[in-house]
Amino acid sequence: MPEPSDRRVVVTGLGAVSSLGIGADDFTAAIRAGRSGVSPVRSFDTTGFPHVYAGEVPDFDPGSLLDHVRPDAWGRSSQLAAAAARLAVTDSALDPEELSRSAAGSIMGTTSGESTVVQSLTEQWTTRGLKGLDPRLVGQLPASRIAGAVNYELSLTGDAQTIPTACSASNYALGYAYDLVRSGEADFMLAGGADSVNRYTHAGFYRLGALAESVCRPFDAGRSGIITAEGGVALLLETLDHAVERGARIYAEVLGYAVNCDAKHMVHPDPHSISACIRAAHDSAGITSDDVDYICAHGTGTPTNDATEVAAVREVFGSAMPPISSIKSMIGHTMGAASGFGALVCCKALAEGFLPPTANVELTDPALGPGVDCVPNVARPAQPKVAQNHGFAFGGNNAITIMGRVV
Amino acid sequence: MTTSAPAVRPLTITSAGVVSAAGLGLTALAEALITGKLSDAPLPDPSPGEYPDLPLRPVPDPDFAGLLGRKGLRHLDRTTKLGLVACGEALHSYAADGTGNTDTGVVMATSTGSVRSSAEFCRDTLVRERPYLVNAGHFPNTVMNCCSGQVAIRNQLRGVNATVAGGQLSSLFAFRYAHNALGSGRARRLLVGGVEELSPQTAWAWQHGGSLRPGTRIGEGAAVFAVSAQNEECAEPADGSMVHGGPATDAAPPLGANLLACEVAYYGAPAHRGRQVQGLTDVISRALHRSAVAPGDVSVVAPGAAHYTGLRHIEQRALAAALGSVPERQVRIGDFLGELYSAHGAFQLAALLALWQAEPAAERRTGLVTSLAPDGNLGCLVVRERA
Repeated sequence: MPEPSDRRVVVTGLGAVSSLGIGADDFTAAIRAGRSGVSPVRSFDTTGFPHVYAGEVPDFDPGSLLDHVRPDAWGRSSQLAAAAARLAVTDSALDPEELSRSAAGSIMGTTSGESTVVQSLTEQWTTRGLKGLDPRLVGQLPASRIAGAVNYELSLTGDAQTIPTACSASNYALGYAYDLVRSGEADFMLAGGADSVNRYTHAGFYRLGALAESVCRPFDAGRSGIITAEGGVALLLETLDHAVERGARIYAEVLGYAVNCDAKHMVHPDPHSISACIRAAHDSAGITSDDVDYICAHGTGTPTNDATEVAAVREVFGSAMPPISSIKSMIGHTMGAASGFGALVCCKALAEGFLPPTANVELTDPALGPGVDCVPNVARPAQPKVAQNHGFAFGGNNAITIMGRVV
Repeated sequence: MTTSAPAVRPLTITSAGVVSAAGLGLTALAEALITGKLSDAPLPDPSPGEYPDLPLRPVPDPDFAGLLGRKGLRHLDRTTKLGLVACGEALHSYAADGTGNTDTGVVMATSTGSVRSSAEFCRDTLVRERPYLVNAGHFPNTVMNCCSGQVAIRNQLRGVNATVAGGQLSSLFAFRYAHNALGSGRARRLLVGGVEELSPQTAWAWQHGGSLRPGTRIGEGAAVFAVSAQNEECAEPADGSMVHGGPATDAAPPLGANLLACEVAYYGAPAHRGRQVQGLTDVISRALHRSAVAPGDVSVVAPGAAHYTGLRHIEQRALAAALGSVPERQVRIGDFLGELYSAHGAFQLAALLALWQAEPAAERRTGLVTSLAPDGNLGCLVVRERA
């Protein structure tokens, strides 16, 4: 029996609720095909907005996916998170009763929490004053309910913690959940994130000049910004020993992670801080840069992000940069869920043998310098052994996870 | 189930930064707790008329410009400013080791960030001439890691920087996160705590929620602790100074306390409804076991749910079950500072430390912070004076 701190941690279940499909398989099939999940916004009135496209999940039917979380009692982000977690558990073929009896919990990331609840309450505030707020909606406001919804849905008694470190939050969640399983604090953890398309996030990014009109083109010379998006994503973590013992399908091993902070600017990323985070992640995973076969980029598609990200990667990898692609070109920027979707697609890439593409690339931006292989437009057959997953955020919160194929 | 409950490695609290209804610092908090006196303070701007008819407990007129400098304050919200003040105090009263702060991290508890900032930003999309005519400078205030990001920027803290949300349990989740980050070597030193801002939006949320006992005040504040792995930061700095620069708080003696186990659980699922007494009892017992503390060694408890309808009895029953009897010495900060939500757990700890500092004892004392929330989260934290 190894010491608890030596426990190896693997991913055995994947759940996705996204604009590209419900369930990890549908999601991955769409990614491999380079499809787009972007469509005109339906969830709020876009009158007066110059840019009106988003990666919404109009087909999300919480009632058909959830056993306990009732749509009328929980906000949309909580529903997305709980549905993704339920899908991940089903995908893992783990007995839900065993899971519920075990030391198990959830760590879920988010940027804006229950933003559609904020939106509805603000409408009520504007029209009838704070006194006129709907108490039922008020109860759905705390962002902390996102992890609570996962534990509620799956009857888990372990940690139910939400990590609202904005757009790197799912990687924070995955890293922390990995530590909890690795150290023996928990035997199973659900890790991931959720966010919802909403009016004020859309307005904020537009006002920053960071919102694309209708197409997100990371790494392309003509890239113009992000597409706001939503979704829920969850990964089921357990020990390698337990997974082998029960004959589970193992997607990948979580090899390590790192988090750090730019401490420079709230919205402008810093390449040196990011490269430091990459190096720390490699140290944590016990690998060198030579071992990395693929980078799932933060890749928002803003001119600044992609240039900064490539500069940071170059600082570590030199001229030997591995292929680096952005799935935000297809699902848009799912905010707190983004690096969770990245982690999910890394698991699938390692298990199924492919590199996810960057869609909408016409010309890889020459200004990014030589040697940028962004896997343009269609997935590429490959046998990656180690994948590096990026998540960066407002506040300078960088988080990078490293996953490896288990052979 | 393979998870055993190994002993925790204690963490050392080296300093505290507190901004509360009692003012700045642990000494002011202790004085208020001992005398039971707090003077009324003006409400956060703009108009008191927007608040519901609830008793409120604001931080008295914090001199943010004096404490933080005027530069860049215009775009910061109250949550961020309160957090900055508390973190600044914790850093300034920290025994400086001359190596700078670059490997220091932040773990900040806030369950929803500044609700006021998000709501006001969202309202601008509804009431302005065009929905996108929002103030871009206020956009970062709508994300919940705004405070910890600003703390990092203003203090050059490049280490682990996490924001954690867990309702009333938020601060306990932060201590638990810190245990992992320091125990696994991901951080060397952390500022750990919680922040909560009083605003018309949150006050009305409490009014509509109806979970508090009648007469409970709605409070605010921030409490933050500089924490490191045990024995790393105990030595006095080479220059002998325990306080350096910064806003003038009186030179407080170094804090001598260890954070021991912090355990949490979720008993909100339908299958576990009505089992919170057992859940909290188990969590307390496990935490004491992992801390190598006997139930009889707990000399003081800071219960977190004393001001909650329907929860205070559950908490007291669990305490009696886990400790053998309901402890006589209890510090109920909710009765005094009011409901502090995300910051409540940090203030429960601050109150114990403040009272220990104000009332020295020959024997080192052990305290227990407990928390129990309507959302199903429950947990506890064991703290002990350092030998």
